[in-house]
Amino acid sequence: MSQYVVEMTNIEKQFGKVRAVTNGQFNLKKGELHSLIGENGAGKSTMMKLLFGMYPIDSGEIKVNDAVIANNSPSIAISHGIGMVHQEFMLVNELTVLENIILGFEPMKGSRIDFEKARSTVQEYIDKYNMDVQMDKRIDQISVGEAQRVEIIKVLARGADIIILDEPTGVLTPQEVRKLFEVLQNLLNDGKSIIFISHKLNEVMEISDRISVMRRGEYIGTVNKAETNEKELANMMVGREVFLDIDKCATKAGDRVLEVKNIWTSGEKELSKIRNVSFDVRAGEIVGIAGVDGNGQSELAEAIAGLRKVESGSILLDHEDITNKSPKEIRLKGFAHIPEDRNKMGVNKADTVANNLAACSLDETQYKKLNFILNESAILENAKQKVEKFDIRPTDPKIRVSTMSGGNMQKVVVAREVSLAQKFLLASQPTRGIDIGAIEAIRNILQDAKAKGVGVLLISTELEEVLSLSDRIIVLYEGKVAGIMNAEEANEDNLGVLMLGGKLEDTAKGGSH
Amino acid sequence: MFEILGKVLTPSLLYAAIRTATPVIYAALCCAVTMQAGILNIGTEGIMLMGAWVGVAFSYFSGSWIVGVLAGMVAGMIIASILALGSIKYRAAMPAICTGMNMLILAFTRFLLGAVFNVNGTFADPKINAIPRIHLAFLEGIPFIGEVFNDWCVTEILMIFVVIVLAYVFYKTRWGLRLRAVGKNELAAKSVGINVVKIQYQALIFSGALGGLAGAHLSLGYSNMFVQNMTNNRGFVGLASMWFGGGDPALSALGGFIFGLFESIGSRLQPYGLPSQLSLAIPYAIILIILAIAMINKKRVTEKKKKPVITQDV
Repeated sequence: MSQYVVEMTNIEKQFGKVRAVTNGQFNLKKGELHSLIGENGAGKSTMMKLLFGMYPIDSGEIKVNDAVIANNSPSIAISHGIGMVHQEFMLVNELTVLENIILGFEPMKGSRIDFEKARSTVQEYIDKYNMDVQMDKRIDQISVGEAQRVEIIKVLARGADIIILDEPTGVLTPQEVRKLFEVLQNLLNDGKSIIFISHKLNEVMEISDRISVMRRGEYIGTVNKAETNEKELANMMVGREVFLDIDKCATKAGDRVLEVKNIWTSGEKELSKIRNVSFDVRAGEIVGIAGVDGNGQSELAEAIAGLRKVESGSILLDHEDITNKSPKEIRLKGFAHIPEDRNKMGVNKADTVANNLAACSLDETQYKKLNFILNESAILENAKQKVEKFDIRPTDPKIRVSTMSGGNMQKVVVAREVSLAQKFLLASQPTRGIDIGAIEAIRNILQDAKAKGVGVLLISTELEEVLSLSDRIIVLYEGKVAGIMNAEEANEDNLGVLMLGGKLEDTAKGGSH
Repeated sequence: MFEILGKVLTPSLLYAAIRTATPVIYAALCCAVTMQAGILNIGTEGIMLMGAWVGVAFSYFSGSWIVGVLAGMVAGMIIASILALGSIKYRAAMPAICTGMNMLILAFTRFLLGAVFNVNGTFADPKINAIPRIHLAFLEGIPFIGEVFNDWCVTEILMIFVVIVLAYVFYKTRWGLRLRAVGKNELAAKSVGINVVKIQYQALIFSGALGGLAGAHLSLGYSNMFVQNMTNNRGFVGLASMWFGGGDPALSALGGFIFGLFESIGSRLQPYGLPSQLSLAIPYAIILIILAIAMINKKRVTEKKKKPVITQDV
């Protein structure tokens, strides 16, 4: 009998052309909490979905309690005592908490469901692990934290001893996180083993026994919590050697093009996601916004672009108020926006490259004939120029965007927006999920825009991207500005501390540079 | 004015309302079953019309209303199976195939009238065995109760039981819980190992049986003949009633009853000078009004809270 309840060795997994996991290694001891950390897209969720049997592995071996699992599926995984609480809850909003918990394996009494028995079983879990849930409330009547406890009870009720939690704290308030950690401690005390997927180092340092790190689909290493610190983990997560350093061009910052004054806005799941944020961007400079994903970056970008209602405060573009104006009105004032998700907002994948490149300017006379028919040849001509200038491949402007690689798709978005940015460019995660070559190209394009005197706001969760491009850096933490500093003073250490909610004095003492 | 109302609003109005409402209530229940599985069954109209024709035909040839009703239900199940195959297996849009099916059955039953009975438009014959009405002697002479609850058709009494049984099935049984889970959040249901496709098939076929029963009751209980297009949009009114009730059996039945009540009131007001066009329009106008109220209410509830739901994988 080995000391491990889970052993995953040499795991490989590919989705189409994307290598999601290469050289995946993971093991879990009975009764421990083992965290799996890494940046977005590092493959940590995929790794655990493979353990839970949601996708088949391409190669490698999964052992649970010393038994090799072949042809894994969720039902096989469940029969081996594995349970997974997904990042997005798998709950039916219109059913009650109790109904959701028993769904799929209902205790029966004759022809009807034995709700009394179900109730007492669930009550046992509630008492044993101190997770209060209201069994008769519907899911849409309870808080996110409570819904998460419902998911945990669901997993336990199906007999799980090994519990995978995928980014469980992402949607929780700090108070709910405290409560979750208490529950997890109770589960550990009862002999359950827990896998905790996260990218929040402070949380991982608080509750883990061991920590494994993944980066770009690869296993980097495993450390004991007692023998490591946040700085070492951050280094392992980011990987120093991947710096895509760019010679920053000289900055001739001019007049203020964007002024954000004390704005408040709400998110999908939280009220006041952005709280009293103020900053400005001047012509000919790049201002970077750093922060751990989910600290309000998306909401801030959408608020500036006119896609999300600003509840109070104001936004000025070239001294003109654009607060809560429509995206079109804002764009007509010389504003361009590279949205964070090209699939959702950046391109129409079903349409051609040419049409996508002209998409924001179809009202302009150059693209129209007789004022209402599209001028196909002008659209094609524009596309040919941009395809060449921005090195978009394949070079045929008539092909559909859906056939392109992610990097080239992003170049289509960047090409269109940069050409439109007369005064200001909002670049949201401009290089997320694309290959190194395209990353480099897009970073150079942003530099060029800056050199032409455009004000650029760069929002990125890639710290080194923010560092290598920005003239000034703003750190967002839980929807507030945690700090603003000039690029010369900023480094991964002091930004990292701010990103995790710390204060700068701490690094001055422990700084290694 | 009050004198007229006094003459219209009598206990016998309730009796008339139940009679008028029952076919609509059955249609509403037919829609409710699929609605719980997340499928909007616009084919109810066609299923019902087929059930009506088959009910009359089998009652005529066998001489038994029971055979007629059962055959009508089977016919409904067959039509529903075709809809299920088209929408679930071959992923056709439900509104499209249902509309096609409704038109096909309208023409097909008319064709069958000619081909089988050699009549045009209407088939009435003494050999058609109607669903009997239950006369309870001890209720005679009791005010109100005697007038409202006596002489109910067997399938009208059955309707009450069907409502109760459906409520039990939806809210108390394993199948019902899974049905509701599938209807509200397919992915969540799938994630706990529920066979979503199987439940959807079962729901549609079950719904077909109720739709067939609705039709057989219409031709053998409500009347005693088959008339071309005799459903006359009752399937759609049933759909609206189900919508009013949000798929809940009792509330959907209530929706159907309100329709029946206003139709009865309308027809009783005609002798007092209410134009017939207006009296015919009243129940439909009422349906629109209560649907609007139901939708406003629903919107208020859904806007109250938005929750994280499953959106993507990988």
